[in-house]
Amino acid sequence: MASTSSAFATFGSSAAGFMGSKVSVKDTTSMPTRVQFRPLRVSAACSSTAERTVSHIASPSSLYEVLGIQMGATCQEIKAAYRRLARVLHPDVSANGQNNATAHEFIKVHEAYSTLSDPEKRADYDRTLLFRTRRSFAMSASAASMASSAASGFSGYTRRSWETDQCW
Amino acid sequence: MAEPAYTVASDSETTGEEKSSPAFPEIAIGIDIGTSQCSVAIWNGSQVELLKNTRNQKLMRSYVTFKDEVPSGGVSNQLSHEHEMLTGAAIFNMKRLIGRVDTDPVVHASKSLPFLVQTLDIGVRPFIAALVNNVWRSTTPEEVLAIFLVELRVMAEVQLKRPIRNVVLSIPVSFSRFQLTRIERACAMAGLHVLRLMPEPTAVALLYAQQQQQMVHDTMGSGSEKIAVIFNMGAGYCDVAVTVTGGGVSQIKALAGSAIGGEDLLQNLMRHLLPNWEKLFSSRGINEINSMGLLRVATQDAIHKLSSQDSVQIDVDLGNGSRICKVVNRQEFEEVNHKVFEKCESLIIQCLNDAKVDADDLTDVIVVGGCSYIPKIRNLVKSICKRELYKGMNPLEAAVCGAALEGAVASGISDPFGSLDLLTIQATPLGIGIRANGNRFVPIIPRNTTMPARKELIFTTVNDNQTDVLIVVYEGDAEKAEENHLLGYFKIMGIPPAPKGVPEIKVCMDIDASNVLRVLAGVMLPGSQQPVVPIMEVRMPTVDDGHGWCAEALHRTYGATLDLVTVQQKI
Repeated sequence: MASTSSAFATFGSSAAGFMGSKVSVKDTTSMPTRVQFRPLRVSAACSSTAERTVSHIASPSSLYEVLGIQMGATCQEIKAAYRRLARVLHPDVSANGQNNATAHEFIKVHEAYSTLSDPEKRADYDRTLLFRTRRSFAMSASAASMASSAASGFSGYTRRSWETDQCW
Repeated sequence: MAEPAYTVASDSETTGEEKSSPAFPEIAIGIDIGTSQCSVAIWNGSQVELLKNTRNQKLMRSYVTFKDEVPSGGVSNQLSHEHEMLTGAAIFNMKRLIGRVDTDPVVHASKSLPFLVQTLDIGVRPFIAALVNNVWRSTTPEEVLAIFLVELRVMAEVQLKRPIRNVVLSIPVSFSRFQLTRIERACAMAGLHVLRLMPEPTAVALLYAQQQQQMVHDTMGSGSEKIAVIFNMGAGYCDVAVTVTGGGVSQIKALAGSAIGGEDLLQNLMRHLLPNWEKLFSSRGINEINSMGLLRVATQDAIHKLSSQDSVQIDVDLGNGSRICKVVNRQEFEEVNHKVFEKCESLIIQCLNDAKVDADDLTDVIVVGGCSYIPKIRNLVKSICKRELYKGMNPLEAAVCGAALEGAVASGISDPFGSLDLLTIQATPLGIGIRANGNRFVPIIPRNTTMPARKELIFTTVNDNQTDVLIVVYEGDAEKAEENHLLGYFKIMGIPPAPKGVPEIKVCMDIDASNVLRVLAGVMLPGSQQPVVPIMEVRMPTVDDGHGWCAEALHRTYGATLDLVTVQQKI
């Protein structure tokens, strides 16, 4: 009985994620210790295939906001913030029954952490963050649907982690 | 209240649906089912305590004897002599057999055990039987494990004076998800509810995290952390983990594991002592089984002695007129087993690489498991990790203590002194992906991805007007699809006719907090944000016993007509 409802919840959220990552941002507002996300502007995530980590989290807000830290935070501060959030958001510790919601929260926090804790990835990310604010992208939702062109416009930082094959 | 008769639960109950259900009123026990020995532990309110059987043993031999009408296991049964386990009536090494098909090399290696392991080499489950009054009586690894678990459960219930239902089990890193379902099935047969299945070194990592937290009173506000390598080798499996610990949070950075262990060391030395022993004993009459048992006991004993002395005298009368009289020194033992030791080294190196950790960054190196007493093992770990070994753990009890800690944490128990202020952030031990690009394995969730996880990848068709595609899901790290573990397969139908390469087939994999894997697949056409056919959502694994030939049958039937290729990422 309880399991049925949770299965439905997963289906709902999983299906939402499927329609493109722009939808999946909606359920992030309940996250504690962090300011509310701005509405999504750029849909770099649409192009995400292999390397979801970088492009996916680019959409909601800054990764620093995800972890609730300043942009100039030290490595120690990043780790401490990650652990603090993990202690609250990891499905194993969070209130029973809410697991599916917090799983998504935790995944976002972990993605932010894995980018910011890697000096190289963090430098890449910081550059795009600057780039983004300078250009002050304000793409409408319809423009965002032009997935490939929008992404190719600015997501030069999206690094491929493996070689995909050409269609043949 | 008395528990009703132990019954086998249905499929859906054994696949972990309830794992996340709320509020367990009782503390789950931790069980370490070893290939050779097993143990049970529980959080007693202030610390972890190992439970003892009626003979005051904390470690019990993992075997079940079918000698009498009622099978009895190593928890309650008293062996008059070690050799009694080797008469063919006892089934042991269940952990090496469970969830494996008869083409698996590990199953083939088990054919030299005293009980019957028969293979037909077609990818079905092996036939396993115990010798009872000159009759080979068939059984299954799940049944044997369930009988054993019932004994453990009764033992715990008698001591704790309450019914036991929830358990945390430690499992080898290299277990596939299909094998995990077999473990869950065995637990269900024994009336136990699996709260968590924990890779063994991650259980040790949790114990380490607790020890560190108590030692330094580290607050989680500080960013200081400790990096440890955990090397765990028992009779059946060798596992390695790299964990980063701080403030009671144990983050698993990387895992590596293989089905090598003390059993391989034993068989290699037996082969060294009597080169054609497998052939000699293949007829498997009562006399052959007896001789094989005698050789096995003598070899086992020699290996134990070689841990503390440089050479050992082996003198054993095999009862069939032949006698083995030989001095074996430690160097000889190490040479005979050099491949096993090389594999151990490569697992550690791979794990450090995957974790992007240099040996110089390590704080501690922990070696546990039955094989941790072997000097060669200790030395090879020390030389790779450039560290002395950690001394704060009992090598044979660390995994079960970790499982018991997780049992208390997962049951929602808190401790006034903060001893249970712990969290393990797990990583996927194996990659999960699908068959594409010809016969290649394309991982969607790579190995060592933090869990819970959700990743997706876009594929497309290989033929013009291809209306169906076959999604075949595998788990593993091999490049060729069929060298990985098959988890399941399904078809997406009704793709609108289009030239090859145009339809976008999005495959998403989701591992939730209860470690349940869901595979979602949908079809998009360019310019549309809506899937053209309903999305498929499949909980994996869906395969059953005898899955070894499924992939081949699919290939034979469909060839490349339903194939997929990856789409190059647009930048």
